[in-house]
Amino acid sequence: MSTANVVTIRHLSKIYRQGEINVTALNDISLDIRSGEFLALMGPSGSGKSTLLHIVAGIDRPTSGECQVQGVDVTQLNESELADWRNQNIGFVFQTFNLIPVLTAFENVELPLLLTRLRSGERRRLVNTALELVGLEDRARHLPRQLSGGQEQRVAIARALVTDPSLVVADEPTGNLDSNSAHDVLTILQVLRRSAGKTVIMVTHDPKAAAFGSRSIHLEKGELVNGEAGAGLDRSQPAMTP
Amino acid sequence: MTIGTFILKNALRNKRRAGLTILSVAVSCALLVTLLTLERELTIPPESEAASLRVIVRNKVSLAQPLPAKQLATLDRIPGIVAVTPFTFFGGNFRDETVTSFAQFAVDPARFQGLMVEGRIAEGSYENFIKDRNSCLVGADTMKRYGLKLGDRMRFTGTFFPVNLDLKIAAVFAGTVDDRGVFFHHKLLDELLGDPGTVGTWYLRVASAEVANDVIARVNKAFENTAAEVRAETERAFQMSFISMLGNVKLLIGSISSVVVFTLLLVTVSTMSMAIRERFQELAILKTLGYRRRELFSFILAESFGLAVVGATIGIGGAWAFWTFTDLQKLTNGFLVYFEVTPRIIASGSVVAALLAIIAAIAPSIAVARMSVVQGLKTLD
Repeated sequence: MSTANVVTIRHLSKIYRQGEINVTALNDISLDIRSGEFLALMGPSGSGKSTLLHIVAGIDRPTSGECQVQGVDVTQLNESELADWRNQNIGFVFQTFNLIPVLTAFENVELPLLLTRLRSGERRRLVNTALELVGLEDRARHLPRQLSGGQEQRVAIARALVTDPSLVVADEPTGNLDSNSAHDVLTILQVLRRSAGKTVIMVTHDPKAAAFGSRSIHLEKGELVNGEAGAGLDRSQPAMTP
Repeated sequence: MTIGTFILKNALRNKRRAGLTILSVAVSCALLVTLLTLERELTIPPESEAASLRVIVRNKVSLAQPLPAKQLATLDRIPGIVAVTPFTFFGGNFRDETVTSFAQFAVDPARFQGLMVEGRIAEGSYENFIKDRNSCLVGADTMKRYGLKLGDRMRFTGTFFPVNLDLKIAAVFAGTVDDRGVFFHHKLLDELLGDPGTVGTWYLRVASAEVANDVIARVNKAFENTAAEVRAETERAFQMSFISMLGNVKLLIGSISSVVVFTLLLVTVSTMSMAIRERFQELAILKTLGYRRRELFSFILAESFGLAVVGATIGIGGAWAFWTFTDLQKLTNGFLVYFEVTPRIIASGSVVAALLAIIAAIAPSIAVARMSVVQGLKTLD
């Protein structure tokens, strides 16, 4: 295994039991994701891309196989250890933003920091920095319902970044956004990778969104279609910039 | 933001539901406290220090059977007794009332003075009461309730005895645990009844609490194998025998209290379950962000506890204020004089509310603990 790999997946399988039927979501996946990559996981609905993302992010467990993230085999961690690990290492961005509606943008971003021992002043500084990074410092006191979809997603990105995780996972982050907002969000993710050296894994079935990544892989019926498609590709500019 | 702020914002996100839940907890707690207080008042009558020194002597056959008046001479000779008086329940109706809530007793005024150690004469003079055979001694609460003043006449229609009374108020007493009674001359009753030579009961005071049991034993023994055997008992035991006539009050009130608590439990559990179910996805997000099961359980418990505590504070506090500052005699037509919401009852109500909060938090917490993050997010491909 290369030390430059942030994620190393070997023979990973996930089988769901639905009544009497076994549904194979992932079938013997092996994959390496290098540090600083912006990987687009593509595939049609039901292809297993979100399942793969969830296992890498430690919110789901595989049926078999190995999944090492920054040298830690996440399949071996218990529930509590996984929670701590996620808080320190993973930043999540979801398709539906998933902000807490009764909290302001500032408070939503602050949520992961409440689990740390940071003092309130330090938390405030980090939250403000994260909000500045996504260009929403002037919307800090707004509730999610007072923000546009794009702004909500940027708040979600700020929440994902506030703990300074090395890995950011995004599950269809532009799925609910118009093209302009989608562009803004993808640009932010790209900047994160380029300027802050974050590794980004993004699930999408939109080729335009995938074009912002440095590499894309395709899944179909739980398997990598053409191996690691585009492995080693590191475009400095998105292939399709609006 | 602090964790406390986060919990508070969650608890108040649906203000109408939170308000209604708090209100239902408050009403239930107020009802529970009221029932517990009622049970206490009915089964544990108020007791003064002097009451422990007083003994009632009644006919062993039944309270309704009179005792011979000549027993007084024997009682006077029993060591340990410092005062004794005939004490006959008249049970008349005042004015036009069909049910009069204060009792009237025929006593020997000179001897009765030795038994009313904790009371004081608030108006008039006890001497006047002793001197005038047609006069009476009236409790301050009754004077106030009927707007009576010294010198007024009180007319009673007999229900137990076939005679009526027309009494002049000579003195008013206050400071006892029950300032409602009316006392009049036994000689007047004897005269009206044609001197039957009987009394209802004997009321006596013993020298000290230590000798009370000995005195009771001596009194019982003194009339053994006579035509009128007696049963002597402390004032408290005597009161309790009256309470037993009300039936199993404790069971009845206990049953109602259980229904109240059970209803309260259903309301709280239902509210918490609804509140958590509609936030399942958010709780999954929190798990994703690194919040562990125990932290989510703490949030749910704190929210449940907060609603219960606010409701209980309003309900129990309200019940306490209501029963403390309300004119109970007026409200209950004289049935209740005291209705003390004791610290013990307040504590019981609070413990019930706290337990309900914990129980209400258990089911949603288990559901959240069992929920996988993916299931909560519902983002499976």
